[in-house]
Amino acid sequence: MSYPRTSTPRRAARLAAAALLLALTAACTNDDANPDPSPAAVAAVQVSGPLCAALPTGTEPGNPTFLAGQPVDDALRWIPTITTFEAAMRASGLLTDLDRDGITLLAPTDDAFAAKFNDDTWDTLMTRDHEKLRTLLKAHLITGTHTVDELVTAGTATTVDGTNLTVTRTGTSTRFADDKAKADAVCADYQATGARIHLVNAVLGPLPTTADGTGHRAH
Amino acid sequence: MKRQRSLLIALSTLLAASLATVATPASAQQAAEPNQVSDLTVRQADGYATLAWQPVDGATDYQIERTAVDDNGTATGTPTIVGVWRPNRQINQQSPTFADAGFNPGDRFSWRVRARTGTTEQPYSEPVVGTTTAPWGNPATPGEQLRTQWETTHAAQYTSDTDEYAYTAAIDQLSDRVRVVEIGRTVLNRPINMFVIGYPTPPATPAAVAATSPLAVNCNVHGNEPGDREACLIMARQLAFSTDPRTIDLLSHTTVLIVPTINGDGRAANTRGNSTGQDLNRDYSLIRQPETASYVKMIREYRPIAGYDGHEFGNSRAGDLPMLPPRHQNVAQAIFDESQDMIEGHMYAKGAEAGWWACPYGCEGGGNVGLSEETILRNTLGLKNVVNSLLELRSSGGQTRPDEGNSANNRRRKTFSALWTFQQFLDYHRAKLADITGARAEAITFQAANTGRLVFRGSRPIPAHPAPHPGDSPPPIDAPPADLILDNAPCAYKLTEEQYRGARTDGPGGVGTTVADRIAAHGWKVVKTADGYYVPLNQPERGLIPLLLDGQGVENLTDGERVYPTLTGRRNGPLTVSGFTCLADATVNGPITVRPGGALVATGSTVNGPIAATGAAGVMLADSTVNGPLRVTGTTGAVSVIDVTVTGPVDLSANTTGTDTPLIAGSTVRGPLNCTANTPAPINLGIANTVQGPRANQCATL
Repeated sequence: MSYPRTSTPRRAARLAAAALLLALTAACTNDDANPDPSPAAVAAVQVSGPLCAALPTGTEPGNPTFLAGQPVDDALRWIPTITTFEAAMRASGLLTDLDRDGITLLAPTDDAFAAKFNDDTWDTLMTRDHEKLRTLLKAHLITGTHTVDELVTAGTATTVDGTNLTVTRTGTSTRFADDKAKADAVCADYQATGARIHLVNAVLGPLPTTADGTGHRAH
Repeated sequence: MKRQRSLLIALSTLLAASLATVATPASAQQAAEPNQVSDLTVRQADGYATLAWQPVDGATDYQIERTAVDDNGTATGTPTIVGVWRPNRQINQQSPTFADAGFNPGDRFSWRVRARTGTTEQPYSEPVVGTTTAPWGNPATPGEQLRTQWETTHAAQYTSDTDEYAYTAAIDQLSDRVRVVEIGRTVLNRPINMFVIGYPTPPATPAAVAATSPLAVNCNVHGNEPGDREACLIMARQLAFSTDPRTIDLLSHTTVLIVPTINGDGRAANTRGNSTGQDLNRDYSLIRQPETASYVKMIREYRPIAGYDGHEFGNSRAGDLPMLPPRHQNVAQAIFDESQDMIEGHMYAKGAEAGWWACPYGCEGGGNVGLSEETILRNTLGLKNVVNSLLELRSSGGQTRPDEGNSANNRRRKTFSALWTFQQFLDYHRAKLADITGARAEAITFQAANTGRLVFRGSRPIPAHPAPHPGDSPPPIDAPPADLILDNAPCAYKLTEEQYRGARTDGPGGVGTTVADRIAAHGWKVVKTADGYYVPLNQPERGLIPLLLDGQGVENLTDGERVYPTLTGRRNGPLTVSGFTCLADATVNGPITVRPGGALVATGSTVNGPIAATGAAGVMLADSTVNGPLRVTGTTGAVSVIDVTVTGPVDLSANTTGTDTPLIAGSTVRGPLNCTANTPAPINLGIANTVQGPRANQCATL
């Protein structure tokens, strides 16, 4: 074979990798087989909003009760409609700052990001402009763990980037607004260790919209 | 070479069919009410269920309803419309089928179908109950029991990089059929792995794999389009461990190459491009990035003859599976035609059986997509004489799959439709191998002949499939503008030392590999003479060379100098070659002698006399006739004999061409063929020569 291989002794690495995989598989299988959450987590977590039905529920892998016992970075990986936000939190380095303190995340959905940024803008933010990306993401973070009801009661909240948000409720719908954008909660009150996660349907913060509504670029 | 569609459909119908049993209504009663759908059947397959029924006269469309049920058939969930069948889904309207997918594999359901006339709902069919096919592989059998992260999380998570490596290594370890090869590294140093799968074991070297006419699936070039990758990982497990006769048969006749994640950095970051922001599917010709360079080198070494390239696409109105052949007008007609036959002849026909809606990319008002950039893998592969197609997975459920607001349902439909496509791709390759290799041979000899105009950018039209058809509108015409057509093709491009070996800034971090490196990665022949580096066009990738080396190229590497033929027409008397000599449509009545350091390039020519080259920089002959012996020894640069008739003996000996492999392909030798002590040894690119005398030594099997 003319291609370089990794320097790790290969057979040993393979065996270790296989063992790891089997362990992972077994762990997941156990999760599936045992719907009871870990002893640390208590009552079933109730999330609310129109998007919740599209997300893992009941005893499915990634259900809200299971996530309540997970660190926030793991919990974010389990919510399939916020993959853009999750990747951005990781790429920006912000995730490593979150474990220390209570935090509330307003997590825009993948559809929200697609409606906000075209692929070029987004790839630039993700690959070259991390400072701007961090500022954008901080506009979606609030210090402390707050239920959506608590935020509505307070009526306002200050994001980590210093922006004041107004929080209003109409019927069952909760709206977050800064001076440039507004976003409605679409599945609120996910919990993770030291965190609340509210999924929202639009991107907040200062950056201009660059998506033109035509969807993906061509292959 | 246009093949007949009806024959294709007939042949593809003979292919191995699903062994799954077909469920039918418990009560085989006839439709009791007018316009009620009758004869509903449900056939289970990997990740989807094919529903089929008798059409209702006057129906506008059909709705497919699915309800979760328990073992007793009692409903445990809410009846949900999960599918809408429309006439443009398939090429045969009289046998409607629908591939229902998105459910959790292994769960049990009841299905019903009803017609609508206009918007008026007609009575439902009798229900059919069935248990869907569980994730492939017996949980108690080593190897088969492996599952990806995507499978174990019920599609809530995509398979991470580390889980992919562990899963890949486990398959490698547990299956004799699989060798996992690292074909390169990403910018961030992630491994780019490739499954090499054959039965009972994969051939040991890239050259040995190439001899099996392999096929290649590229699964994940855009990091934010991960559906195909999950299908590839599942298919690798199936191929590694399945004992069904079809799999054994497929793997006994070829080698399957699967690159699950060419863009590991982009996948990890969920971005379209790689870690530098470069869209890798705009880089397969330029190969500025290490990921694309790895893939192109893999093609050079393993020589797949057919390929698929997996994507997802945002148009909610498109078919389930938009596909497109290499359309660039420099792609040989035979490759375009065979690729179209793969799509329209095989995929449309099999899609109509399985219920998947394949259609041309750009169908249903898909916009300005599917164009002719040579930087796209689809076109680059075509220009490398590989029969291939783009595969898109429609991102959203759209109007025909209304239950895909649920993200897991949406992800599963996409992945299992890709799995169906890739498995069909293997069946197509198995059934049509002779046609594919025939098209490839025709294409290589056409390209090497260096005839016809060059187009720098512009597509062949994709005609609408005859109605009823699986796409209401074909993709844009995308014809080449006049200023991107070169009617008078040169013989070669000449590069200066600076152009060929100079430092470049177009790679990651402002450091690019040299033009020499990239030409070598593509596998093009270069002849160095006293006055520069010549890249002759009479070679298999003739259509790609000008796109990178001509100043008129839309996205070129460098502005090479066009070199036109030095000899055309008739010449009587001996010819001695010392510099770069190019014969085009020439007749030489007399011997040709190539002196040390000289280069002879010929197309469309006849030499009535011997050709003798000793210590030449290069000898590259194509589409020509030599009435006399051909003797080439001690060449230092490049040796190529493609589609040449030699009346007399051919002797290729002691050529030392470095990294360049001598070619003798598609030629006729009326005399003995001897190849001795060449380094490296000559090959024929899978295009056999006709030799009337004995074949000796390194050319014994060519």
